[in-house]
Amino acid sequence: MTEPRLRAEGLVRTFDRSAGIRGVDLTVQAGEIHALVGLNGAGKTTLMRLLLGMLQPRAGFVEIEGLDIRVAPRRTWAGVGHLVEYPLAYGELTSRANLELGARLHGVAKENIGAMVDAVLDELNLRQYASRRSGRLSLGNRQRLGLASALQHTPRLIVLDEPTNALDPSGVILVREALLRRARAGAAVLVSSHHLDEVARIADRITVINAGRVIGSLDPGGVDIERSFFELVHTDDRVGVL
Amino acid sequence: MIAALSTEADKFFRSRVTLATTVMQTLGIGILLGSMLLAVQRADAQTIAKFGALANPGGWPGYLTSSSQVTAVAALLGFGVVLSWLFGREFADGTITGLFALPVGRGTLALAKVGIFFAWAVIVSIGLVVALVGLGFVFGLGALPMSAWPAIARQLIVTLLTALLALPAAWVATLGRGLLPGIGTTIGTVVLAQVAAIGGFGAWVPFAAPGLWAISGGLAVSPGQLMLVVPVSAAFITLTVLAWRRLQLDR
Repeated sequence: MTEPRLRAEGLVRTFDRSAGIRGVDLTVQAGEIHALVGLNGAGKTTLMRLLLGMLQPRAGFVEIEGLDIRVAPRRTWAGVGHLVEYPLAYGELTSRANLELGARLHGVAKENIGAMVDAVLDELNLRQYASRRSGRLSLGNRQRLGLASALQHTPRLIVLDEPTNALDPSGVILVREALLRRARAGAAVLVSSHHLDEVARIADRITVINAGRVIGSLDPGGVDIERSFFELVHTDDRVGVL
Repeated sequence: MIAALSTEADKFFRSRVTLATTVMQTLGIGILLGSMLLAVQRADAQTIAKFGALANPGGWPGYLTSSSQVTAVAALLGFGVVLSWLFGREFADGTITGLFALPVGRGTLALAKVGIFFAWAVIVSIGLVVALVGLGFVFGLGALPMSAWPAIARQLIVTLLTALLALPAAWVATLGRGLLPGIGTTIGTVVLAQVAAIGGFGAWVPFAAPGLWAISGGLAVSPGQLMLVVPVSAAFITLTVLAWRRLQLDR
């Protein structure tokens, strides 16, 4: 079996009032879409922060392409695209300028930026907003802009926290297709969501998180995925209470 | 570093905060001094006496000495607000999450922010001198005498040193994860400078020294005391870069 594009082992990071992550193992392979599902407060965003170095774990480690992220070189990070909580969109810049800024920060060569930005503007149907300042975009279009910034440089690893937040149905379809295209091209994709039917459409694997722990997985092709999800969560909650 | 500088320059120079502060720092201070000059020209002897150097020695040297005095306070506030915004806005707007997991390190981004800020401060310092000289002509001070040139140099140096002295705002805005802690620190710095100046030990307090140096025509503060500004600002740059490098989004 090939090395996972992303690997986390024994991750622990807890906060006051018992929130946090408690001993999570996780892998994402090249060419797969791995979905994390869980209720609000289950620990999805904290886990993503740990995976991207926004938080240091108290125990455990994270590797990208076999390299510990604490010592990962620039080349490794240049192949990562992410959106966690807020889009990288500065209100005073136009959509195009924001995408150019994102490309520069990801180390894209100057001569390739123009064509790359044009392509992602078309792919996520943002062309009509290219010259508009992002501060004047709707929440949904701002989210789409953030996704465009995370996806435009053809990353080998994509990490997205609730990517379809605030998107209208057409935006959801655009993002879904963009992720499927990239996974087919070999990217490893990790997405978190609480829209079970949405992740079931695109995910190869679905991992369920509750109270900061991985409590099981769901079959993306299963008949009643919602029932299976709640059975897992409620069983875990009962065990936790006992 | 080039990517960090170019992205920070884009954000900084296209922002309305930068534009508004540039206008206030140059024309605002200039017009304030011009108005005081006008008041001196029209007021009675008793009122004129309250205007300090603007009235005595008066003329270009008095006008430029007064402008340095105003700059030491007003520019510290202006520079502090800009630094608070420059660093704190990433937290307030939530864009900080996008500045992780990049080939450009956060320490490099912080250093680029300081570099862009200081480049802008040089532009503002020169712009303020140009505005002050222009308004001096407009308000009838006449031809610029040779004796005014040292005061012009002091005005320029005071503005640049004041920009350096605003740097604690960048560090505290980072630690406090927002704009307000930086702005509060700036106000605290102004108060500290005033207390030090009134208490008579301002020459040894870097936050007060440039203003005292300019007002006294360079006599009340030695070059060594004035240069304390450099290590103090270097310390705050180091603290800010380290804070960004070690940053964790744990709150």
